[in-house]
Amino acid sequence: MPQVRMIAEQVRLVSEQTDRFKTGRISVSMALPMDEKMAANSLLIFLLKRSCKEYPDFSLLNGKLDELYGASLSASVSKSGEAQVLTLSLTFLDDRFALTEESIAEQCAKLLASMIFSPNCKNGSFGAENLAAEKRLLIQRIEEELNDKRTYAFNRCISYMCANEAYGKDKYGTIEEIESVKITDVYSAWKNLLSSAIFQITVVGSCNADDVAEIFAKKFEKTERNPVKPETVFYKRGGHFNRYEEKFPVNQGKLVIGFRAGTADSRDNLAAVTVMNDIFGMGTYSKLFMNVREKLSLAYYCWSRLIASKGIVLVEGGIDTDKEKKVSAEILSQLSDLRNGKTDPEVLESSKRSLKERHTFTTPEGICAWYASQVLEDEILTPESLVGEIENVTMEQVCEAAKKLSIDTIFMLSAESEEGEENAD
Amino acid sequence: MQINQITNEKLGESVFCTRHESGLEIRVMPKAGYTSAYAVFGVKYGSIDTAIKNENGEFETIPEGTAHFLEHKLFESEDLNAFERFAKTGASANAYTSFEKTAYLFKGSENIGESLEILLDFVQNPYFTQQTVEKEQGIIGQEIRMYQDLPDWQVMFNLLRALYSAHPVRIDIAGTQESIAKIDADLLYRLYKNFYNPANMVLCVVGAIEPQEVFDIVDRCIKKTDVKPVERKFEKESGKPVQSFIEEQLSVAQKQFLLGFKEELDAPLLSLEDEIASEIVLEALCGKSSPLFKRLLDEELIDMGFGSEMFNGFGFSCVMIGGTSADPEKTADIIKSEIRKAQTEGIDPAAFERAKRKFYGRYVMCYNDIDDTANMLMNLYFNDYEPFAELEACKNLTVEKAQERLNILKADNSALSVISPIA
Repeated sequence: MPQVRMIAEQVRLVSEQTDRFKTGRISVSMALPMDEKMAANSLLIFLLKRSCKEYPDFSLLNGKLDELYGASLSASVSKSGEAQVLTLSLTFLDDRFALTEESIAEQCAKLLASMIFSPNCKNGSFGAENLAAEKRLLIQRIEEELNDKRTYAFNRCISYMCANEAYGKDKYGTIEEIESVKITDVYSAWKNLLSSAIFQITVVGSCNADDVAEIFAKKFEKTERNPVKPETVFYKRGGHFNRYEEKFPVNQGKLVIGFRAGTADSRDNLAAVTVMNDIFGMGTYSKLFMNVREKLSLAYYCWSRLIASKGIVLVEGGIDTDKEKKVSAEILSQLSDLRNGKTDPEVLESSKRSLKERHTFTTPEGICAWYASQVLEDEILTPESLVGEIENVTMEQVCEAAKKLSIDTIFMLSAESEEGEENAD
Repeated sequence: MQINQITNEKLGESVFCTRHESGLEIRVMPKAGYTSAYAVFGVKYGSIDTAIKNENGEFETIPEGTAHFLEHKLFESEDLNAFERFAKTGASANAYTSFEKTAYLFKGSENIGESLEILLDFVQNPYFTQQTVEKEQGIIGQEIRMYQDLPDWQVMFNLLRALYSAHPVRIDIAGTQESIAKIDADLLYRLYKNFYNPANMVLCVVGAIEPQEVFDIVDRCIKKTDVKPVERKFEKESGKPVQSFIEEQLSVAQKQFLLGFKEELDAPLLSLEDEIASEIVLEALCGKSSPLFKRLLDEELIDMGFGSEMFNGFGFSCVMIGGTSADPEKTADIIKSEIRKAQTEGIDPAAFERAKRKFYGRYVMCYNDIDDTANMLMNLYFNDYEPFAELEACKNLTVEKAQERLNILKADNSALSVISPIA
């Protein structure tokens, strides 16, 4: 069971103390509304990762990480419902493996805190050169999303489906917004982050969580807090159904079908929706795996993914472009079977067993990710508690959850045929 | 069975090793405080195995992609397939094929013994028909297409094709649409019989299980056959690449590149010491704290994905350095001149110590995850090393050895692979 405490207003520390791992991990998640400041926020998190007051240069900071036995620092931007979440994490070797007497964990906790609270700023500026460098890297990162067509198609489907919701925006902000971020904007974004973001510090490993709490609590003592909690809109039903298509010179087409899950918030009917999605297209016993792949050999992968924080389900598959209609018809026919209770009871049991297994985390990263993803939840949910609820889900509840799925948007990334002609179905 | 316990005091871990009479090597690392176990059942048969020794003792060519095809097919049987059987224990099962091996695995927290029996059973009981083979050609065909669109994958295989003229490391793991079309049920049975011999396999189990339980299950479930080691074909290749530059256009946003340095091998396998020395010297030279990384970043030639890798196995060894770049040729020239500089002036001792410390930490971290640990135990076994050998090799590495490994990188033996956006 994790320990949960508040160390400042809307700053929660969740810790799971265990000595069974060889590493520890501290992750700081910071949630902000998805507004016009998204691009500046994104640049900020990468600037915080680049250097800090103590190690005011990229090479110096990375040299320090090497000396800390290859501590691994990461910065990321993600969406949790309609919030932009900035995360800075460190994974480090447990103190008992240090070659000399030193506390790696304490050094890492201090380093992480100083990266957030004492950045590499002079006179209210992060430095024009640093900003220009991070702008280039971030724009390149966004442009490179095109390289992986599976992820690209997945994100395109969401952006079409949620075009009129904040969720439809790119997590980093747009390239135009990034280009127009001024040096003063980043400094304001940093000030705003400290005062108004919802914070969660997640600590996993043998390190003493009291010490970590104290290190961060001291920093927050000097910070005025006016936190703003981002809200997420849940559409219970899909609106006017649309299909979108983009053509690329590729070998394999990517089909993505977006559904509304019919939930009212991120925890609404969570256990039943999780099992329903698993039986629909997650496990190897799932309807999509068994039929689209194994029975019809139409795809190497065809699976469904639940995004509970926004109440949507996306089905995706890598297929031959000219098989789109056949595959989407099969997906919908499988959904129809799921709704109508045409599911072997043994599959429900398989799903429960498998979900239990997948909620048994064996790494600090796994445990940390589970809790960190709850930055915006009022109550911390343990994996054991969700598994307990999953065990009680009935086939009727699965069918009901499936009936609430409503199709919203299809996105097809088509392979351009060599002659440049339309592919016939 | 004689059980050999190998302990690493610093790590606080022990591995229990034994050789079953069938020839199967078993390595078990019980982990206190864990509720899950991970088991991997590996066979020394990968994509580089494109020839088998026939009855006359001659090497005979087989189609590309057979190891991977067999991996897919072994999950099937006459009644319940392996996935359906694992669904009853709740374990997550999977498999993968690499250049040198095929691995079948599961991770589970309940009914671990039962899952282990299923793992041993399905891998030992092949079942193929013409119909199921044809079905798989469709699925694997899609898998091949998926990889053809992945620039990271293509930039690496193009580099391997530029570096190697004959070694099968240059072919795709899954083969090609044409090569898999040549596979039929008879061929699969024949290859299965050749490679899936316990003496050519290893079982590694890590986590919440006692060694004796594993040994007992193996004894009960492994079929007794004649011990028959499999011989791999070693063809010596010169250090010279086939071509020094290779480029392909794909639907990508930016250019990607991989610069490779080929090493001429006299024996099929590199020593673990040499491999680790190369890894560490590359880190010292191109890692995030190196002057080279800083320079390339400041000159806007790379992004944070820039990195290096030692890539070696049976009959092949090369160094790969790359990432995304607006100007791959210029970037490659700077890297080559930095290597030359470190060859003449010597490696910075502080950078070497930092890199060594980082690798020591990373090697210890590998024993965190039961997945990583089991796979590492398998790899060490297939390369004739005892558990924890990599930790010792890392601790004992000298700067002289690292310098020696750096000095073999020669511009004449290098090739540059580039993926460009479609014009």
